[in-house]
Amino acid sequence: MKLAGLSCLGLGLTACGRGFGGGGDGSGGGGVQLNMVWWGDASRAQKTQAALEVFKKKNPGVTVKTEYQDSGPYKDKLATRFAAGNPPDLMMMRMDSLREYADRGALLDLNQHAGAVDLSGLSGSVRALAAVGDKNFGVASGLNSIGFVVNRTLTEKYGVKIPDGNTWSWQDLATFAREISKASGKKVYGTGFEAYTLANLIVFTRQRGEDFYTADGKLGISEATLVAWFEMFQSMRADGGFPPAGFFENVGGGAEQSYLAKGAIASQIIPTNNFLGYNAAAGGNLVLLRMPGETTEKRRGQSIDTPALWSVAAKSKHPAETLKLLNFLINDPDASRATGTTRGVPANAKVATEVRPSLAADDQVATDYLIGLQKEELPRSYTYPPGSSSIASGLQSIAAEVEFKRQTPQQGAAAFLDAGRKALGG
Amino acid sequence: MSGPKAAPVLDRPVAGAEASAGPRRRRPAKPPQDRAGYLFLLPWFIGMLFTVIPFFASLYLAFTDYNLLNAPKWIGLDNFAEMLRDPVLHQSLKVTFVYTFVSVPLSLAAALGVAMLLNRGVRGLSVYRAVFYLPSLLGGSVAIVLLWRYIFGLDGIVNAFLGWFGIDGPGWTTDPDYALTTLIVLHIWTFGSPMVIFLAGLRQIPGMYYEAAAIDGASRWRQFRSITLPLLSPIIFFNLIQSLISSFQTFTQGFVMSGGTGGPANSTLFYNLYLYQQGFSQFNMGYASAMAWMLLVIIAAFTAVNFLAAKYWVFYDN
Amino acid sequence: MTTEESFVERVGRTRRSRYTKHVLLCVVGAVMMYPLAWLISSSLKPDRLIFTDLSLWPSEWNPANYLDGWTALEQPFSVYLANSFVIVVLSIIGNLVSCSLAAYGFARLKFTGRKLFFTLMLGTMMLPGHVLLVPQYIVFAKLGWLNTYYPLLVPNFLATNAFYIFLMVQFMRALPKELDDAARIDGCGPFRTFWKVIMPLCMPAFATTAIFTFISVWNEFFGPLIYLTDSELYTVPLALRQFIDSEGQSQWGQMFAMSFLSLAPVIGFFIAGQKYLVKGIATTGLK
Repeated sequence: MKLAGLSCLGLGLTACGRGFGGGGDGSGGGGVQLNMVWWGDASRAQKTQAALEVFKKKNPGVTVKTEYQDSGPYKDKLATRFAAGNPPDLMMMRMDSLREYADRGALLDLNQHAGAVDLSGLSGSVRALAAVGDKNFGVASGLNSIGFVVNRTLTEKYGVKIPDGNTWSWQDLATFAREISKASGKKVYGTGFEAYTLANLIVFTRQRGEDFYTADGKLGISEATLVAWFEMFQSMRADGGFPPAGFFENVGGGAEQSYLAKGAIASQIIPTNNFLGYNAAAGGNLVLLRMPGETTEKRRGQSIDTPALWSVAAKSKHPAETLKLLNFLINDPDASRATGTTRGVPANAKVATEVRPSLAADDQVATDYLIGLQKEELPRSYTYPPGSSSIASGLQSIAAEVEFKRQTPQQGAAAFLDAGRKALGG
Repeated sequence: MSGPKAAPVLDRPVAGAEASAGPRRRRPAKPPQDRAGYLFLLPWFIGMLFTVIPFFASLYLAFTDYNLLNAPKWIGLDNFAEMLRDPVLHQSLKVTFVYTFVSVPLSLAAALGVAMLLNRGVRGLSVYRAVFYLPSLLGGSVAIVLLWRYIFGLDGIVNAFLGWFGIDGPGWTTDPDYALTTLIVLHIWTFGSPMVIFLAGLRQIPGMYYEAAAIDGASRWRQFRSITLPLLSPIIFFNLIQSLISSFQTFTQGFVMSGGTGGPANSTLFYNLYLYQQGFSQFNMGYASAMAWMLLVIIAAFTAVNFLAAKYWVFYDN
Repeated sequence: MTTEESFVERVGRTRRSRYTKHVLLCVVGAVMMYPLAWLISSSLKPDRLIFTDLSLWPSEWNPANYLDGWTALEQPFSVYLANSFVIVVLSIIGNLVSCSLAAYGFARLKFTGRKLFFTLMLGTMMLPGHVLLVPQYIVFAKLGWLNTYYPLLVPNFLATNAFYIFLMVQFMRALPKELDDAARIDGCGPFRTFWKVIMPLCMPAFATTAIFTFISVWNEFFGPLIYLTDSELYTVPLALRQFIDSEGQSQWGQMFAMSFLSLAPVIGFFIAGQKYLVKGIATTGLK
C-alpha cells in the first residue's frame, strides 16, 4: 500500500511538470501549428495520426496538433470553443450542424479558395453536400450511404431466399421478414430498424418523389408519406416480422451491441462504412443489399452521403496551411491509404479506386457499393437547415408515441409536421 | 460542558444544552466579528470571480437572443414568453417534478434507514458501508449504462425473472410509461452519498445521550425520535436541500440512459437535459439561460420554504 | 416492553434480529455489487462476447484487454492515472482548506452581510452548470489558462464549491455553541477556536468532503474535456471515452479493463478514508 502510494507520488510529480506550464501554446520551433479536431475512437486516431505523419514529411515546418473525442462531447466542446472565439483550424463537422455554423459566418467559404483545395476529383453530388447557395463550407471526409444487410447464415438456416437486392420492394421486405420470423418460430425477427433514424426516412421520402428538406430549407415531406412510413412499421410488427415495441434501446449504437450481432434479427439498415464492423460482429456472413423500393417506387431514394465533413474555421490564423492539409486529406492517395475507410470511402473517386486494393475485403464490398451508386443518376439532396437537430429529436419522440400506440400514425405525422415547420421558422 | 441529565435529554435533547447554559442566561453582547468573518471568507470572495461573474453573465444572456456564434441581441422578456408557450418545456418540468418528489423522499429514507442499521455496531460494518456506496462510485460511468440494457431490456434480466411468474414485462427503459420509473429506481439505488453523510452525522451525536436514555429504559424508537432525529436534523436538512437541488438539476441520468434524447417520447426529458439540448444542440443559448434562471427561481422557492419550515424541526444549538 | 422479560428471551431475539439484519444487508449488498462484478467480468471477455455472453463467468478469457488497453491511446494509461491523481490530491487540499474556512465564517461568526453572502452562495448552487460553461471558459481563456490544470484546480482553492461549504456549515452548526464560548473565555481568538476546537470535531465532515471530492474530481468529465487539449494532460475519464465512438467503432473490452483499473483507486480511497468518517464526537468525546 505504502509502496503503491510512493510510486503514485512519483508519477504524480512527473505529471506536475505538465499542466502547470505557461499556457498550452506549445508551437515551438517557429513553424506553423495547426489544430485539427475530429470525433472517433482510438483506432481511428492511429490511422489519422499515420496520415498526418505523411503530411508532416511532405510539408516541413507545419505541425498538426490533433484532438479527438466521442461524437457527443466533441460537439459540446466545439460549440464552446467557437463561442469563446477560440475555434480549431480544421474540424470534422456533422451534416446537421453545418449550417448552424456556416449561416453565422463561422466557417470559411471554400469556393473563395478554389485554388487551394482541388475539388475536381469529386463528383457533382459529392461537391454539393456542403453547398449553401453559391458557397461551400466543407468537403466530405469520406463517403457512405445506407444499405440493407442480411445475415445469410440465418436465411440459410431457415431456408428463406434473400430477395434480389437491386430490385426488391418494401413489400418484398415485409414478406421476407415474415417468412424468417415464421420459420424460426419467432426466435429470430426477419428485420428491424429504427423508424426515427432520419437517413432511413429520407430515402423513403425521396422514393415517393418528395424531398425531406427542400432547396430553400423547409420540410418537404408530406403528411401522407409520414403516415405511410409509420403504417409500414405497424403492419410489419402486426405480421410478426418486426420486433415488438420497445425492442430497440437508445444506448449507444455500435455493431457489437446490435441485435444483428446477437442473431436476434436477420436484417437491418446500416451505414455502409460500418459494413466491416457489422460483418465481424455478426459472424462474417452478411450480404449488403440496396434499400428496398429503389426500382419499384416513383424515383431513386438512395444518395451518396458523408458521415462527416471537413470544415475550416473562418477565424483560422493559418488558412493557407489549413487548406493545404485539407487538400492533402482529400486528394493525396497516401493520406487515404493511411486512414483507410475509417471516415467512409475516399471522396475523390480516383483516390478511391487507387486505394481499393489495399483495403480489407469487407471494406472493398462497401467501396464497390458506393462506386456503383456514384455511377448512377440519383436525385440530389440538400443541406440540413439550421434548427434541424430539433427536427431529429422531434421525429424520435413522435416515432415512440406511434410505436407504443399512444398516437395514431395520422396524429403523429400531423404533430411532427406542425412542430417541425415551427422549428424551421415557417 | 457538563453531561446532561437523562430526563431533560429525553424531553428535548437541545433543552439539555440550554439547561446547562443556564435558564435564558443572556450571552454577553459580542462585538461584531466583521474583520474575522471577512478574513475567513477571503478565498470565497476571490472565488466569486469564477462563480459570480458567469452567474450574472448568464442572467444577462437570459434576456438575449444568443446563438453562441454571434453577439447576443437584447430581446427583453421574449425568452420567458416563449417558455410559457413551449409544450416540450412543460413536459420537461413535469418529468423533473415527478422525479424529484418521488425519488428524493425515498432515497433519503433508504439512506437514513441503512445508515441507522450500519451505525449500530454491525460486524463487518466497513465492508457493508463500502458495498452500499459502490453504486454511487459507478454512477454515471459509461460502462455501467450498457449494463442497464441487460437488466431492463425487453429480453433483460428483470423480465426473465418476471417470466417465471408468468408476467410479460415491458421494456423498462424503452416504454414511455415505464422509463421514468426505472430511472427513479436506479436513483434510489445510489443512496450511498446521503448515507455517508448521515453516517458522519450520526457520529456527531454524543454517545452519552444514548447511555443516559438507555439507563432510563427508553425504547429504541423513543431514542430515535428524541435523540437521533433532533440532533441529526441539521444533517437531514442538509441532505434534503442538497437532494432537492441536485434532483431538480438531474442531467446525467436522463442523458446517459436515453443517449441524450430524453426519450422514449420525452418521458425522461429532464428540465436540465432540455436546457442542454437548447443550448448546445440547437444553439439557443439565450433561451437556455432563461430556462436556467427559471429553474433557479423554482429551486430557490423550494429551498426558501424549507429554510422557513426548518425553524420548526431543525435544531441548532444556538 | 418491560425490563422484567427473561434474559434468555432477550438474547434470543437480538440474535434472531441480528441474523435477519445480516441476511437483509447481504441480499441488498449483492444487488449493489452486481454491476461491479459485471464490469470485471466484461473486462476479461473478448469484445464480441461482452454483449452476447451474459454469464458473469467468461466462457472465453481475454486478459489481453488490460495490456492492450494500457497502451492503446496516445499516452500509456499511467499518464492519465497520474494526471488524475495530481488533480485529485490538490483539489482535496483546496476544498478542505478553503471550504472549511468559509464554513466556519458562515456557521460561527456574526458579521455584516452574512445572510446575503450565504444566500448568494446557495444561489450559485442552484443554477444549472451548462449555462455557466461558456462565460467560465471565456474567463479562463482571458487569464491564459487554457490547456493547463489551473481552471480545474484554482477554483477549488477559492471555495467555489458551495456544496462542501454548506455541508460543513451544517456540521459546525450542530456542535454545541458552548464550545466557542468556553474557548473565548480561555482567551482563544476565532482562528485558534477554529483550529483547536472546531476542526478536530469536524473530522467526519472533512472525511466526507475528501471522499466526495475524490470521487467527483476523479470522475469529472466536462471540465477536463473543455479545458484540456494536449493528450498528455488528459485525465482518466477523458481517456476512457477515447475508447468509444458512439457512432462507429469502439474498443469495449479495453474500455472496461481500464475502467476497472481506474475504479480501484476510488474504492481504495473510500475504504482508507472511511475510518475518519467515524471519528466524531461519539468516539473522541467532548472535552
